[in-house]
Amino acid sequence: MNQTADNEFHGAKKYVLDTELASIVNISMKLEMPLLLKGEPGTGKTMLAHAIADTLSMPLIVLNVKSSMKLVEALYQYDTLTRLNDSRFGDSKRDVSNIDEYIKMGKIGQAFCADKRTVLLIDEIDKADTDFQDDMLDVLDQMQFDIIETDKTVCAKHRPVIIITSNAKKDLSDPFLGRCNFHHIAFPEPKMMRKIIGVHFDRIDERLAENAINAFYSLREIEAIEKKPATRELINWIRALNADPDFNAKDLVKGSMPFLGVLFKKSPDYERAKSLTSRRKMF
Amino acid sequence: MFLKFFYTLREVGIPVSPTSFLTLQKALHKGMINSLDDFYTCARAVLVKSERYFDLYDQVFAHHFDGVPLPEDGGFEIDEMARGMLDEWLKNPKQMADALGMDEATLKKMTPDELIEYFKTRLKDQDGRHDGGSKWIGTGGTSPVGHSGYHPGGMRVGGESRNKSAVKVANERRYKDYSTQGPLTQAKMGEALKRLRNLVPSGARDKINIDETIKETLRNGGEIELLFDRALKDRLKVILAIDNGGWSMDPYIRVVQTLFDYARSQFKEVKTYFFHNTIYDYVWEDSARYKKPKNIMEFSRLDPDTRLIILGDASMAPYELMAHDGSIHITERSGRPSLDQLKFLAKTFPHTVWLNPVSESMWGYTHSIMAISKLFPMYELSLDGLEKAVEKLMAKN
Repeated sequence: MNQTADNEFHGAKKYVLDTELASIVNISMKLEMPLLLKGEPGTGKTMLAHAIADTLSMPLIVLNVKSSMKLVEALYQYDTLTRLNDSRFGDSKRDVSNIDEYIKMGKIGQAFCADKRTVLLIDEIDKADTDFQDDMLDVLDQMQFDIIETDKTVCAKHRPVIIITSNAKKDLSDPFLGRCNFHHIAFPEPKMMRKIIGVHFDRIDERLAENAINAFYSLREIEAIEKKPATRELINWIRALNADPDFNAKDLVKGSMPFLGVLFKKSPDYERAKSLTSRRKMF
Repeated sequence: MFLKFFYTLREVGIPVSPTSFLTLQKALHKGMINSLDDFYTCARAVLVKSERYFDLYDQVFAHHFDGVPLPEDGGFEIDEMARGMLDEWLKNPKQMADALGMDEATLKKMTPDELIEYFKTRLKDQDGRHDGGSKWIGTGGTSPVGHSGYHPGGMRVGGESRNKSAVKVANERRYKDYSTQGPLTQAKMGEALKRLRNLVPSGARDKINIDETIKETLRNGGEIELLFDRALKDRLKVILAIDNGGWSMDPYIRVVQTLFDYARSQFKEVKTYFFHNTIYDYVWEDSARYKKPKNIMEFSRLDPDTRLIILGDASMAPYELMAHDGSIHITERSGRPSLDQLKFLAKTFPHTVWLNPVSESMWGYTHSIMAISKLFPMYELSLDGLEKAVEKLMAKN
């Protein structure tokens, strides 16, 4: 762990950091504002939070947002059922008359109650509806929330570093945006991709990496593909190519593309890519 | 500090809020910003909240810190005229080159987009209003349009962009691809259509109902009685009727295809039908409008809660809509004019919208669009229009 004196973020072992993004992360941390990250799937939005937690050796708390989620679930949960059971059978060590014993902290609550500063990743915020988003930002802004059942207020001991990701092309609501900093991660260029591959594979044949990346970017160019392959797919693909003893890196240049299923996960996409690549091989 | 920069951002239409400007000042005061590069990234993260405005931000930044002129709002006429000139050029390159006093060979080297850009600058020069525009010419040396950034390849990313100054990076306009003019892609559509759902309880009873459980337990004298509910599931029925005939829809095929693909993957109960220009007695289940006709009178048997989305440019000759035998296909002349059939649909399905790929500003010029928009709430097939349409579809009554 290379924690620097002034708690700045410089990138992690498994994460290739763009200097622009690094300065935005540092500024957000100093301004104590949440950082909203958007970008194509596979550009490393989620990975960034892991990398920050790793580098600054803070615990990472992940809140995976679901479409049906209510804000209260992210804050705390009052376990009525257990209390009901305990009051009926009376064989637990919990004190039934003390409601506090039946309050369980949700992810945001955990981040607030933690004894040291944490990284709170709120993943795929766009899945929830706008009310959830706005209410949540209120909580994150004030760094406190009330537990209605016990009439207590939970205050954050340490302001967590908050990273929010969104896959949406649509903008989030204005009050939401007003309270966070924003960055859009563009899909990495081939050179950057080479670095990313370098980080993920200790020893890799230079020619294989080069050819695979070239082939990957040309496959991304295919028109009318529903789900373009992203970094994750490329890494898996190279892993697959590496594992295949019969595979020769030269073949990629010739247009033969094995394991297309690793890259294209939707059947129409797969068919399309397959027919296009086999056609190219003919020439 | 940087007040003028802030107001220029506002003027070009980036929604920057005073609060975020104050945040930026805070960052400046705390000494976090020590160079122009820092300022570029920090101000963007703090002020600009959508990648759609990154391109504009780059332009304003380059304008403010390097004096690069802001692009003039060319407006509709200049665009149209430039397009006309391009058509002319395709027909008779020599004449066009002569008229502009250019060498034909030079013009030939340019891509269509570059040509349009070049024509636009020439048009602006000629009426003498926009001298500033000429600054773009010549900076690049060989190419007459210079580094205006309107390269068909979209984002121009120069190798090691990290080592350049912020102004240079801003000048590259790396974010052009994300600006608002971008095409309506499937992901964007998905966003807009996400709200289109109707959650009703269905499936196994596996979700505990606390209130009822407590009530029943009390009634039971403290003996615990657990009560379960069904989980909520989406049960929205959607009918998508698409105009896929006639040359007037040709320019929109791609965007319609996107909507169609999305609808098919997203909704469980979606039926797609096709029609040509407007709806008479039948719509078809096959896109060739030949094999599987469906009489629209049968629609009256369907659930009136079904959401009907009609997609078409609604542009046709008035008689096709009004006349008793308006259909251009002789086999489907039942004597009811299309207008009546559309009224029938509007009555059968209270939740109906018409999506029109034609830009809203042009609707007033076409009679049939006006007539149809009186029957159905009509929205432009754009991100904004889709959102409004979904709002309308999900409104109670």
